[in-house]
Amino acid sequence: MQKIPKETHTAYNALVVGAGISGIRSALDLAQTGCRVLIIDKSPAMGGLLKQLDFQFPSNHCGMCRMLPLVHRDRGGQFCLRKGLFHENIDLILSAEISSLSGEPGNFTVKIHEKPTWVDPDRCVGCGLCETVCPETVPDCFNEGISTHKAIYLPVPHAIPNPYVIDLAACTRCGACADICPTDAVLLSGADRKNFTILVVDDELSIRDSLKEWLEEEGFSVDMAASGAEALEKLKAHPFHLMLTDIKMPEMSGTDLLHAAKAAYPDLCVVMMTAYATVETAVEAMKTGAEDYLIKPFEPETLLPMVIRLYQDLEAARDREITAETIILGTGTSFYDPADKKNIFGYGIFPNVVTNIEFERLISHSGPDGGNLTRLDNGRPVKKIAWIQCVGSRDIQNNADYCSTICCMAAVKEALLAKALGEEAIETVIFYMDMRAWGKSFQRYVDTAVHDHQVRFERCKIHSLTLDEATGDLVVRYISTAGTAAEETFDMVVLSVGQRPADKTQNLSRICDLPLTGQGFPETLPFAGSRTPRDGIFAAGSAAGLRDISESLILASAASREARRFIRPKGEDGGASPSTSTAASDTRQIYRDVSREPIALFVGICTCAGRFDQWVDQEALTRYFSLDPEIVKISFVHQVCTADGWASLSKDISESRANRVLIAACHPYVFLKKIRKLSQTLGLDPSLIDVVDIMTPVFQAQAQEKNQEQAQDQTNDGKNGGQMGDNLFSRISQGAAALKQADPTVPQDMPVFQNVLVIGAGIAGMNASLSIADAGFTVDLIETTDRLGGNLNWLDQTIDGLSLRDLMEETIAAAEKHPCISIHKEARLTSCEGTAGQFHSTIETGGKQKQVQNLEHGAVIVATGGHEAKTTSFGHGTHPSILTQKALETRLHKKEITEGQIDTVVMILCVDSRKEPRNYCSRVCCPTALKQARQLRELNPETSIYILYRDMMTVGFSETFFTRARNDNVTFMAYPPETPPAVNTENDTLTVTLTEPVLKRPVEISADLVVLATGIVPELPDELANVLGIQKDQDGFFQEAESKFRPLDAIKEGIFACGIAHSPRSAGEAADMGRAAAQRALSLISNPAYVPDITIASVRHSLCSLCERCIAACPYGARMFDLEHTRILVNPLMCQGCGACAAVCPNDASVLPALSARRMLGAVDAVFERITAG
Amino acid sequence: MSPTAAHTVASVKEMIQACIQCGTCTGSCPNAFAMDHTPRQLWQMVMSGETRDVLSSETFILCSSCYYCTLRCPRGLPLTDAMAALTRLAKIEHPGAFKKSRVFYRQFLESVRRHGRVNESELMALFFLEMKNPVLPFQYAGMGIQFLRRKKISLPFSGKKGSGDRTDGLEKIFKKVRELENQA
Repeated sequence: MQKIPKETHTAYNALVVGAGISGIRSALDLAQTGCRVLIIDKSPAMGGLLKQLDFQFPSNHCGMCRMLPLVHRDRGGQFCLRKGLFHENIDLILSAEISSLSGEPGNFTVKIHEKPTWVDPDRCVGCGLCETVCPETVPDCFNEGISTHKAIYLPVPHAIPNPYVIDLAACTRCGACADICPTDAVLLSGADRKNFTILVVDDELSIRDSLKEWLEEEGFSVDMAASGAEALEKLKAHPFHLMLTDIKMPEMSGTDLLHAAKAAYPDLCVVMMTAYATVETAVEAMKTGAEDYLIKPFEPETLLPMVIRLYQDLEAARDREITAETIILGTGTSFYDPADKKNIFGYGIFPNVVTNIEFERLISHSGPDGGNLTRLDNGRPVKKIAWIQCVGSRDIQNNADYCSTICCMAAVKEALLAKALGEEAIETVIFYMDMRAWGKSFQRYVDTAVHDHQVRFERCKIHSLTLDEATGDLVVRYISTAGTAAEETFDMVVLSVGQRPADKTQNLSRICDLPLTGQGFPETLPFAGSRTPRDGIFAAGSAAGLRDISESLILASAASREARRFIRPKGEDGGASPSTSTAASDTRQIYRDVSREPIALFVGICTCAGRFDQWVDQEALTRYFSLDPEIVKISFVHQVCTADGWASLSKDISESRANRVLIAACHPYVFLKKIRKLSQTLGLDPSLIDVVDIMTPVFQAQAQEKNQEQAQDQTNDGKNGGQMGDNLFSRISQGAAALKQADPTVPQDMPVFQNVLVIGAGIAGMNASLSIADAGFTVDLIETTDRLGGNLNWLDQTIDGLSLRDLMEETIAAAEKHPCISIHKEARLTSCEGTAGQFHSTIETGGKQKQVQNLEHGAVIVATGGHEAKTTSFGHGTHPSILTQKALETRLHKKEITEGQIDTVVMILCVDSRKEPRNYCSRVCCPTALKQARQLRELNPETSIYILYRDMMTVGFSETFFTRARNDNVTFMAYPPETPPAVNTENDTLTVTLTEPVLKRPVEISADLVVLATGIVPELPDELANVLGIQKDQDGFFQEAESKFRPLDAIKEGIFACGIAHSPRSAGEAADMGRAAAQRALSLISNPAYVPDITIASVRHSLCSLCERCIAACPYGARMFDLEHTRILVNPLMCQGCGACAAVCPNDASVLPALSARRMLGAVDAVFERITAG
Repeated sequence: MSPTAAHTVASVKEMIQACIQCGTCTGSCPNAFAMDHTPRQLWQMVMSGETRDVLSSETFILCSSCYYCTLRCPRGLPLTDAMAALTRLAKIEHPGAFKKSRVFYRQFLESVRRHGRVNESELMALFFLEMKNPVLPFQYAGMGIQFLRRKKISLPFSGKKGSGDRTDGLEKIFKKVRELENQA
């Protein structure tokens, strides 16, 4: 079929598949370092899973906006990320999937299949009028089918821009939406068929005429040809989509025409028209490229459905072809369907059984019941809820020998949200197997739930549910912690469903030639969780297995760092690379300086196809505004959302020589890209161009009226007509008043030191350094000891038997020989002054003969690591056979434990961990115990191994190793934290005693070796934290700016952390985190100069009394006291323009020029302006 | 304990050692209320090697082989089979402890063999005779009277008998079973 795609062959640096948070993170990372990124998502809205989740723990807020860049803010829109993503380097295509992939890393050609939504997203303003007239109702995907919406609907209620889409399966094509749409955005019928061109070829005029008449009536564009030769001529002159040709024609037959046309235009779709006698010829023609045939004589009822079908196929198959140097998969995961197979929980049968995502919708304010938690059968308030964990996870019967990582904490969060919703009156019970609170603040969060909110935890897997027919309550039968059978009834049961590979992963794997794991997830390389075995294709976030938000974002940043290696730097290939301006400076320089020009404001008003005139008199308005000398021109455009409308407006603006432009139309977001283009052609700073929304209130009023009409069949038209006119006018005059006061001064550029200081040369620090150095920037890597490698110096192998020693040696070799890395051993940081982009530091090197060196750098990465905690518990230190895990690792490595030497080993987990004062899980000890058990077994298969644990933290795919250890006959015994085991060293023999919780009877084990898992403590000295000006959390780990959405950044901009200085993690995870931190630092330093954003604070030094209140008030630490010049300085890179400083300043010395009082008050005054007669 | 017993216990341990002590089996078990050790506890005992306690437990005697636990076990362990293996072993190892059930089952089948169905009064009479415990009939008296009142027990010589053909066929089955048992 001949295609006329919207945009042809667009070149991108990177393609990101999936617009969830991981995809957004990767895209933002790359866009900030100057790459052009295309994000596609198969759903009609961005945001992934998180668009459905309102609250994240531990803050129980959303917080997605914290992912937005704090630097170069003006290059993207600073809007709520659940609503939309706006960045000048990022394009977003929704309802799209990869349909084919060819080429090689660095030069992929990707075909993208877009599912038509039948509504033009560029024109839909989301007014909702269509919804009021649509007769069809379908279940709402956004609310997981709990509520309904119309066949034309908003995929999510809060997206911006929020175009409607049509569910074609439910749509009856009645056309009501198309008729009422104020912007003609609905493409369901009519308009777009005009673009579908049909050529009718027949020697009989009567047939040509009637076909033309029928088809034109349906809205298609039709041309005619009387002969084959004429047809070929017409095809040459103009591309056609469809040719209907007769077979029996003089001179050139239809078959010959088919062959000639197909040879020249292979995409052309041809339908043969034939008399009954030549049906065989027609069938033959189909083998040589004809799409279909029609037997003459035929009626319109036969012809039209066929043509419409072909037309829709073409619409559907408008695959777009793009090139990308690299591809990042942020495809996420899908979830286990509890109705699958045995359906032991009656999901879908018992109305009050919901999945955890459905529960999140139920408690959401945008949910089906506005966040009122009521029973789904009778609408009564919910009083008692149960959570059932591990539904479809840790379930070998369901081929899921893995843990889904996030559900434990999600359930605790949901229980607390339910508690808050019901003012603590709702009873909540969580049925679990192991409470996997493996993250940084997780254990304390669980403890809060238990002690402060009385969330009940029952350690028992629930096998099935029954329904109390009389009340509709759900009955749970289980074995309580005390060991007795218990039965409880609940109003609602929430199933914590486990992860499954994302939909169509198989398909994606086939297209991208990606190997999958046995469980169906994309495979990734060891020690590089973001790299797939296929070069140039990376996995971000939870594509390769479910992760929580912060780990997803870390992996997404790591993926963008790795992907960046395949993107050629700008200019390297003579400009063929699609890189946009790497530095924002280039773009700012092209704007002319208008600060000395008198204000010349242009006002363009979209009359929205005459709707505006209904409320406001154009002439009166023109007369009123022409009295204002600062308004140089006022112009009215019929419909600014059309291409013609925009062109005529742009022409008017450029002719007017205005230096400020106000456009009064509808949603400002619709115009973001257009404005950016306009500002470039005009050479006018985009902050001097503004859009005010005048039409949305009109549409909303109309939709409201429509609803009222339906409800009570009465109108109050005209009653508020005058009010509406005043409203529209005041919106325009507010916009004008504000824009007149816009500050046109161009802020000064700030030079950036383009190198990075990395503190700590463990696996995280070395990977961070290598990533930055590979990007071509210099790194100073300082290490307090005389050896590189950190903890890898004593670690031997990973749980899956990979050598950590090889990893260390390879990484050290790479770091040592890299020309961009300067390694400073036995060095420490003694001072670090300055702010993001411009740090001045001093380091001291050398043992006895100290040398002092000054460094200038733009960012700092803290990778100081941590070490195994010391302990005196369980008799450690009193007996040589009581060891820590590290000591055992060393002895195993040195081969000090030989075959047959040891008969019984007891491993005690969670020593001093997960209780105050070290109330956190160290995450690595459980897998380490499993690893060491295996190693000991290899030495002596007869060794009895007892692992005494609290909760096995084998999250994710490490669950497999837990199963393997169980199968290998390792004995596991859980102990409750209240009654820990005891180690007795009397008579020089070691005995471990504990009360076995299942049997409730004492157990005594005489052991040859007792191994204690003491966990990890961070190594972030106070001195260093003070020098850097960063904060530590209560356990001494690096305090990140936000635990979920900014896991790598310090509160002080320009400082990042990775590895176990941040939180306990494995070597592979630390390496990934190093790469991620490098990416964060690179987005800060990859430009030689930083061009400040428009909205930043400044100080009027003549008014400043140096009270320093603003320094204390600034939440971003952007202000400092300049001792040399005794004045307050603002770091433009760190200032976010929040205005806290301006609010506390007693003298009005601290101001935000972009949001000056004059601007604000001007706009306020304008609210009260009315068009007066004359 | 005999070497075969140790071997059986080891094989049972192997069957269930992937157990993660989630409690599904006990929660599912319809007879758990009457057991001295719940299934979950029994498996923990097997795994910690407390063989003597395992064999003296009544848990597996009370297992009615409903297969709920096997069906629902997230690890897919053959729990009912493990119960059966333990039952077989216990009967061999502790013949005295299981005399009551062994005699009951034998007389039950004897009654079936003779009549093609169970004659309850005959069964109980033979059971009491073989147990040689004069107090035993009194323990069952209350239940027996209730059954009689509800006409759940057919009196001896009440004429309810299976047809001769059927018992002939049955005789063949019992013969075959004897053969098989002797072989084993």
